[in-house]
Amino acid sequence: MPITHVFDPVEFSIDVAFTLIAVIFCFLIYFKTRESYELTKYEGIKYFRGAFFFFGLSYLLRFFLSLVILSKIAFDFILPREMFAPFFILFLGYFSTIGIFYLIFSSIWDKFQKKQLLLWGHVIAIILSVISFLTRSHFILLALQFVFLIAAMIFSFVIEKERKKITKIRVLYFLVCILWLLNLLTIDHDRGRFFSIDVDLYSQIISLVVFIIIYYKISKWVK
Amino acid sequence: MNKKRERLQVLYDIMKIISQHGNSIKPTPLLRYSNLSSSSFSEHSETLLAKGFIKEIVDSKGKKYITLTDKGFIYLEKYQLIRGFIDEFEL
Repeated sequence: MPITHVFDPVEFSIDVAFTLIAVIFCFLIYFKTRESYELTKYEGIKYFRGAFFFFGLSYLLRFFLSLVILSKIAFDFILPREMFAPFFILFLGYFSTIGIFYLIFSSIWDKFQKKQLLLWGHVIAIILSVISFLTRSHFILLALQFVFLIAAMIFSFVIEKERKKITKIRVLYFLVCILWLLNLLTIDHDRGRFFSIDVDLYSQIISLVVFIIIYYKISKWVK
Repeated sequence: MNKKRERLQVLYDIMKIISQHGNSIKPTPLLRYSNLSSSSFSEHSETLLAKGFIKEIVDSKGKKYITLTDKGFIYLEKYQLIRGFIDEFEL
């Protein structure tokens, strides 16, 4: 059961700041790698960039939701959340599922016929987001994405048996995805939260550290 | 090394050869130095032309030469970094 929660402006500001920084880093990664892709048209770079583009859109949507919550609390200006929330979940579900899919696909794309796998990725993303839309629950989306993520991780591990070892970059990719899921839990916390503020705060700090590490690693190679 | 990676490396190698020959080389020696089959060389040359990395010029005697474009020089300059990026992120 969610922990009952009273609106805390400081906590809310931290949450909004975190989301904005996440948006900025996702799009920074996307634009930083543009030249590398345009020069090479390398598929792996395309999916890697795509992943951060879609994560950026997902965090941006989350930011807009924060503004809606703020409009209700701070200005007593009530936007019809019940009306547009399902559409918000629909797009959030689609963008973030594609983000997860592209990130995993970026390192295993050469093992498949890419058109077929891409099609499957979009079909899965649409199914997940439509289910979340119909149930009007981001918790359903979270559960479905968690199952999808675990299945995709196992799948990528099985088809890349020869690698055997789990590399640091794979751990970073996993963290990006799992921290997104944790972030989904906090998306509507004016209605109650699953974890304490400390847990949310730590997950946000770890998320930013992961984004900074990825951006730093890219900056080493892409001037 | 996967097929796609090899393709990037081959493109780099061809352009490197052109660069090492004063940015002007005839197609036949380029084919020889690139150590590719004729069909593979044609395929990669077409890719390089289509991407605008190289261009063909014909001199006053009607002889054809291949040179790098500005975009080609940028690719040569950035290739090692891009390959480092691809390797580090296991793309």
